[in-house]
Amino acid sequence: MLPTSNTLPGLFLKMTSLQVLNLSKHYGNVRALHNVSFAVDAGEIFGYLGPNGAGKTTTLRIILGLVHADSGDVRLFGDRSKAAAAREAIGYLPGELRLYGNMTSLAVLDYFERYRPHRPAVLRKKLLEALEVEQAALSRKVKFLSHGTKQKIGLIVAMQHDPDLLLLDEPTLGLDPLVQQAFREIVLDFAARGRAVLFSSHVLSEVEAICGRVAILRSGEIVTVESIENLRSKMVRRLEVRFRGVIPGDLSETPGVTRIQIAGNQAVLWVQGEVNPVLRRLAQTDVEQFVFPEPELEDIFLSYYQRGESSNV
Amino acid sequence: MFNLLRRLMARHAFFLLFSLALLGGFQYLICAAVSSVNVSGAIEELMKNLPPLTRSLVGEQFFSGLTTRGILAFGWNHPIALALGTAVGIVLAARAIAGEIESGVLELLLSQPLSRMSYFLTHTTFAIFSLAVLSVSGVAGTFIGQEVFGLEPFEAGALLKLALNFFLLHCAWFALTMAFSVFGRESGRVSTAGFLVALVSYVVQVIGKLWPSSAFLLPYSLHSYYSPQAILVENTMEGKPLLVLFSISLICTGFAAWRFRRRDIP
Repeated sequence: MLPTSNTLPGLFLKMTSLQVLNLSKHYGNVRALHNVSFAVDAGEIFGYLGPNGAGKTTTLRIILGLVHADSGDVRLFGDRSKAAAAREAIGYLPGELRLYGNMTSLAVLDYFERYRPHRPAVLRKKLLEALEVEQAALSRKVKFLSHGTKQKIGLIVAMQHDPDLLLLDEPTLGLDPLVQQAFREIVLDFAARGRAVLFSSHVLSEVEAICGRVAILRSGEIVTVESIENLRSKMVRRLEVRFRGVIPGDLSETPGVTRIQIAGNQAVLWVQGEVNPVLRRLAQTDVEQFVFPEPELEDIFLSYYQRGESSNV
Repeated sequence: MFNLLRRLMARHAFFLLFSLALLGGFQYLICAAVSSVNVSGAIEELMKNLPPLTRSLVGEQFFSGLTTRGILAFGWNHPIALALGTAVGIVLAARAIAGEIESGVLELLLSQPLSRMSYFLTHTTFAIFSLAVLSVSGVAGTFIGQEVFGLEPFEAGALLKLALNFFLLHCAWFALTMAFSVFGRESGRVSTAGFLVALVSYVVQVIGKLWPSSAFLLPYSLHSYYSPQAILVENTMEGKPLLVLFSISLICTGFAAWRFRRRDIP
């Protein structure tokens, strides 16, 4: 476990670390963001989910003052100030991470640490261990590192000073599954110690695995901001079943099944919310093969189209 | 700010040391060349064989009467000396913003507690320091060369004025290229634009001096405000050219700073 914070448990739960209010941004004639609003509380891992090009990176860049919004506002720790000092308590991992190729990994970590004289890299050692960065990689020049190791160094740059707000743009890109798991534990620990995390991703399953709430972005607009539980209950998921015998005629009447498509002895079922009733019904039949693929972003968008909850998407 | 400054020194150390050594060495070699042969006689002989137009250009512009001092002054107007100063000014400016955007590091850098103004000022300070050291190294080359080869030394004031003139000319190239760099995303394009402007300025100066009917172009060339001959030989350099170069540097830097604060990164 990472070192514990001095923050009193419970106190941070009421604090809002980040508020994004009605952000809009155009690049020429292209609309990148339109009236995007959400808030991230201390101790929360907030998922920011959307397909590539939805506007996730633009939002993060506006939060950091890298990109200027056409309208709207960002409040960091309740303050509207965009001064550089506000970034003292922020850690950021860009989606397209680039580091100085001619510096060694260790020099990179030291270099970025020196930008925060009041926040030393207290977590570096633990992070190096947790992310399994070998000692040899630290003395190697960045340009000779694998993509995965570079990503680990980027994560450590973002987190080594134990920031109060962590902004992560597609953080698991290039990490192998074991390291991804270790990374998730680190992020969960950050939240447990009262740090706020904005976790931007286009992969639904990883957001679902660690986030408490999620904002879903499409074409620059927020489709919904939901708790993960609510999202799961509204999500339409797809089941593919191949039967040995005849397909039961009453499958479409099973609770949760919103749509069914039959071809020969195969059926595709779209199930909303709880899948147990469907599984129980299928257990009474002669199933040859059963596939329950990972839900994808498009499944969520489909859910919201069908529900008509977001008419403008 | 010191963190970034240290990084800039490490990054540009080789390029700068090479430039310093080259300019200083070049001025030293000019002194060596002047002392080793009867350069004035040789050039006078050479000039007799040149067409009148070329003679007027080469003689009046660069050799200032074919004296030893005139030839030493020519060392400061030589394309190698000018290209070195211009390269340092332009490369530093192109790399400062467009180059860092191109490398992709600027996004991570400006997400640290480092304001854009601090970033900009650090790069500008570093460039000013580099150009100042470059100018001093060139002057040191001339001074040491004169001492070593027993040439009549220039007055300290003249050498200082020369260093200031050289420094301000290349500060202007830095500032002008910074004004391009704040719009750019690729250092190659920004450098090319900077070098093209410098080249046009040089050509305009030559044309303006060659043909009296084109003399009206001279005020539009930054090279017209740089005159080693006027400082070292004729002692006619006034403050106005220095003021023009300083003003252009200030205006371009101010504009670049203003624009950099407003642009989106990357």
